[in-house]
Amino acid sequence: MDNTAAINTTKVKKKSSPLSHFFGRAILYLILLVGAVIFIFPFFWMISNSLMSLGETITRQLLPKVPQWINYKEAWEQANFSKYFVNSVLVTLGTLAGLLLTSILAGYAFGRIDFKGKNFLFGIFLATMMIPESVTLIPNYLLIRGTIIPLPGGTWINTYWALTVPFMANAFSIFLLRQFFAQIPKELWDAARIDGCDHMRFLIQVVMPISKAPIMTVLLFGFTASWNAFQWPLLVTTRDTWRPLMVGLYGFVQEAGPYTHWLMAGAVITIIPILVVYFLTQKQFTQGIATTGLKG
Amino acid sequence: MDASNVSINTKSSGAFKRQAFKDQITGILFTLPALLIILIFGIFPIGYSIYMSLFNWQVTKGAFIGDKNYLLIFGSWWNLLVLVAGIALFVLGFYVWNKAFQSIKNGHRLAHIIGALVLILGGVIFVTGWGMMYETGNKDFLNSLIVTVYYALGTVPAEIILGLVLAYILYQDIIGKEAFRIIYFLPYITPSISTAVVFQIIFSSRETSLANRLIGLFGADPLKWRFEPKPVLNLLGLDVSGLAGGPSLALLTIILYGIWSFVGYNTVIFLSGLGNIPKEIYEAAEIDGGSKWDRFWHITVPMISPVTFYLTLIGFIGTFKAFNHIYVMRTTSAQNTVVTTSLLVFDRFYKANQYGVATAQAIVLFAIILGLTLAQNKIMGERVFYG
Repeated sequence: MDNTAAINTTKVKKKSSPLSHFFGRAILYLILLVGAVIFIFPFFWMISNSLMSLGETITRQLLPKVPQWINYKEAWEQANFSKYFVNSVLVTLGTLAGLLLTSILAGYAFGRIDFKGKNFLFGIFLATMMIPESVTLIPNYLLIRGTIIPLPGGTWINTYWALTVPFMANAFSIFLLRQFFAQIPKELWDAARIDGCDHMRFLIQVVMPISKAPIMTVLLFGFTASWNAFQWPLLVTTRDTWRPLMVGLYGFVQEAGPYTHWLMAGAVITIIPILVVYFLTQKQFTQGIATTGLKG
Repeated sequence: MDASNVSINTKSSGAFKRQAFKDQITGILFTLPALLIILIFGIFPIGYSIYMSLFNWQVTKGAFIGDKNYLLIFGSWWNLLVLVAGIALFVLGFYVWNKAFQSIKNGHRLAHIIGALVLILGGVIFVTGWGMMYETGNKDFLNSLIVTVYYALGTVPAEIILGLVLAYILYQDIIGKEAFRIIYFLPYITPSISTAVVFQIIFSSRETSLANRLIGLFGADPLKWRFEPKPVLNLLGLDVSGLAGGPSLALLTIILYGIWSFVGYNTVIFLSGLGNIPKEIYEAAEIDGGSKWDRFWHITVPMISPVTFYLTLIGFIGTFKAFNHIYVMRTTSAQNTVVTTSLLVFDRFYKANQYGVATAQAIVLFAIILGLTLAQNKIMGERVFYG
């Protein structure tokens, strides 16, 4: 309809009738809303089930009659979450500290310093993004077990190091920061150098304060990656000592089986930290994704 | 101003050389921490995987057996050769179809005829090679490749199309655009273990499960969902069975999860890609009298093609890497219909302790990913419109 009208009136007057315009908009909103419902429904189902009694989860009510907040307490205790939660927090913090250090330094070097071998190194870094974990997993496991080279302490299985050190650098974060650092005007560095500034001081006093947004993005990606990690922690933790939340939840799924309300309470507990961080910073998060996704 | 003048003046002097030397040292020192970790945990393992795959390695290193682990996969190198020759012919046919005989009269038709013949020949040889490999090679591995391909074809195109449609709508003046974007992106960032558990429950085989109640509204009988190894087509009434009959219902539920969790990512990337298309082009088209649909099809789709290409690549690599949610959602009764290659490799290693076999399989997977990436670069890269 819109089509023929537009072609017939080659003159500039091309507004379609208000009625068809209204219907067009309505359809757009309808599609968006259906999409939103589909995306959000599993979360709603998770929360609603987590507040049901066991009976209600079997008869599949949409909502619990009386919210059973005690489910959270029970799930927390049943699944030994206090230990796992602390582990996840510590592992995430440690990984982030390392990740920030390595990627800011390397991002700065790649973005702002001219040195021999730079492009070659950067190319290698980028290529690692394509490598599937299946390939690196087994040698890394042997490395961490201390089979290939001797490690301080014999083996790193069931240690903090196994869960943090391998993730303290990644090509993605370096790439993201490099893109931003490279855009900083050269005049700033020239001026700083006249004042006797070396690279380290320039980085800390000038570059970092104006790069809060990309650094934040690295932090957020690092946070979700570390918090959501599953395969590797499953492999290198055999006891509760350093087992993180995701492996704990998986174990709980295997054990709790039919106790849907506890499972869902457990699932909600594991995603709350991610949700909080996401809602506080979602703007930077999506922007960060967009800028890295579109590597010019 | 002053500063840049000074730096130009000192360019040829000793101070400049000193600075260059200092830069060299600083550059290396700054990259060193990241380099160490990426070298040790990212690059060294590839070489070591190849090394391990040449041994009879079960928990501890055994005898050197050369290509035996690879022969277990392919049956024989001859099989692989036939298969690769089929692919090469296929690529050649594609090339002939598009490029050959452009200079002579009626060259296009000739090219299409010859190209089609070569394509068919390549296809036949590929299928023959596959059949031979299936006879003597590792069926588990080859099956896992089929499952992975089903999973990739089931998720990636749907994710691209839905992502583009949602982004395109959001790009119009939509009230609550931010809110929609936040919601769409939610499944992508939340832990896959936690959300896969919810899908487990929604798609459970109980008669009262949400999925069963939903299809019940349309009068359908309850299904076994995650526990159903039968192909979807079979359940729809077609007489097919086994892996050759298409993805199983169990795999379909995993595909649904995959789409659900990834569409938001594509939407966000497409959205920022749309923002980069110059407004003037749309305005020009509007004056020329193109309809909204015309504009979408003739402006947006070609202009956004670099993004589409990027997302397709990322998507395919992602499906070959996918692990967490499949591991959580799989059931024993779904048998091998949900075991993708990355799961198979993990099982070989983690459950069966056959490190040598597992690394050989992982290397083959890696080679496939590399090949796919190159092919996509070549095929799609040529068709992409870089404004």
